[in-house]
Amino acid sequence: MPELIDVVEALLFASDTPVEASRIQEVLDLESAATARELVEGLRGRLDVEGRALQVVEVGGGFRLVTRPEIAPWLVKLARSRTRSRLSRPSLETLAIIGYRQPVSRPEVDAIRGVNSDAVLENLLERRMIRIAGRKESPGRPFLYETTREFLVAFGLRDLSDLPKVEGELIVPELAAAAAAQLTEPGPEPEETAAADDSTEQDPGAGGDRVTASS
Amino acid sequence: MTTPETTTQTSAPESGLTVRVESFVGPLDLLLHLCRTNEMDLSRLSLRTITDQYLGHLESVRFQDLETAGSFMVMAATLIYLKSKLLLPANPDEPDEVLDEEGELLKRELEQRLREYARVKAFGTWLSEREAEQTLIFGRTTAELPPPEDIPLEDLSVHVLQRAMQRLIEDQKRSVPRQVEPNPLSVLERMSEMLELLRSTWSLLFSSVAGSERVRAEWVVTLLALLELIRLGQARARQAELFGEIVIERNAVSVREPTHPIEETSEEPTPHLHTPHPHTPPPHPLPRGEREPEDLNA
Repeated sequence: MPELIDVVEALLFASDTPVEASRIQEVLDLESAATARELVEGLRGRLDVEGRALQVVEVGGGFRLVTRPEIAPWLVKLARSRTRSRLSRPSLETLAIIGYRQPVSRPEVDAIRGVNSDAVLENLLERRMIRIAGRKESPGRPFLYETTREFLVAFGLRDLSDLPKVEGELIVPELAAAAAAQLTEPGPEPEETAAADDSTEQDPGAGGDRVTASS
Repeated sequence: MTTPETTTQTSAPESGLTVRVESFVGPLDLLLHLCRTNEMDLSRLSLRTITDQYLGHLESVRFQDLETAGSFMVMAATLIYLKSKLLLPANPDEPDEVLDEEGELLKRELEQRLREYARVKAFGTWLSEREAEQTLIFGRTTAELPPPEDIPLEDLSVHVLQRAMQRLIEDQKRSVPRQVEPNPLSVLERMSEMLELLRSTWSLLFSSVAGSERVRAEWVVTLLALLELIRLGQARARQAELFGEIVIERNAVSVREPTHPIEETSEEPTPHLHTPHPHTPPPHPLPRGEREPEDLNA
């Protein structure tokens, strides 16, 4: 009889999508999702301690078994290909806008970027980074876009709250220059004070930033 | 590979094959670049400097398409409009760069858009770094497990279905069977066909050989074949009335080897018939034999 932790490892190994804690609970017939999470943590610890080539990551609301970055050179050699298709800068900027303001319509994206985003949105839809979330009840009833789970997985994000909290950072005029300068080399950690000021807006998906930006 | 200011886009469909050393994805991008190089406060733009530099850059920028060019022009127009207001000072004693109410509003809006864009751009860079990190991590992308029996419907919107449908229709269009052109008719083939038929029957109707669809090429070829057979003395033809049906008969004397109508008559001086025949070797005399080259095939 295999140990539960081994079963969890097998589940993560065999699945192509992140496996949620609730799904593990269901499959293993556990009493709670928390138990499932404990098992995953146990597995993570075991892989770390043994220094294995695989690791458990939490992305897109679930767990994945993936290789460690240090192994990449050999995998690239195995694949006989150096390139993995990356998104263009317009695509990344558009994703950034949608990531923060979702659901957002094309005219809004266009307004922020200052250029037409039709082709970029089409490309992102094609790559399943975004999806149609409905229509905006405004003239023309444009489509609303939101990010997908694939987006979270592609960027290694647990959920949308993993996005850096840059909200409100630039609304204080005196701070603008400093903030802009800091933004040129952004890290996952945003400016502390701004993040603290913004603690009421923990959910970047709410699009509440629009209110603060226009004030 | 992808740095903020120097981007060679190859994957995005909107960029086509345009490769530029310095690429600005939009007017705000260019404006932001100018502010940064001038170390300008994004909330206190110097309109004179920025307008002049913007227009200067505009001359060197290669536009991807008309729409992008248009958006750059709109920004240029806004900047020029704002700058023009500076040239008409309301009060000469006021310090530099004072605008009227409308201008001030426009400028503030522009500054705000710029700050907003700076934020988006920074976040885009952050995403790019995340993406780069993720390229070092490999996980399963296709399922090892059999697909679930119930297809999850939560991700399906009408739009997704419509796109899928459109793709299917386009695929179908591409796979429409293409018209295959039949081999061009050959007089020789038609001649042997007719001889073959004449072997088992005494007479044929021209229309039955040429086909009832009245394809012009068929009729011409059949007629030429018939005339050639008559000339070679292998068939006879009768036409009872003008434009009437032609009856083809075997010329009993000379039907000896119907499958090889040409070789059989190769001794006769009919060089124009030999040339299209695939078996005809080049007409130089063979060193060993005195025989005609056609005899080798017989």
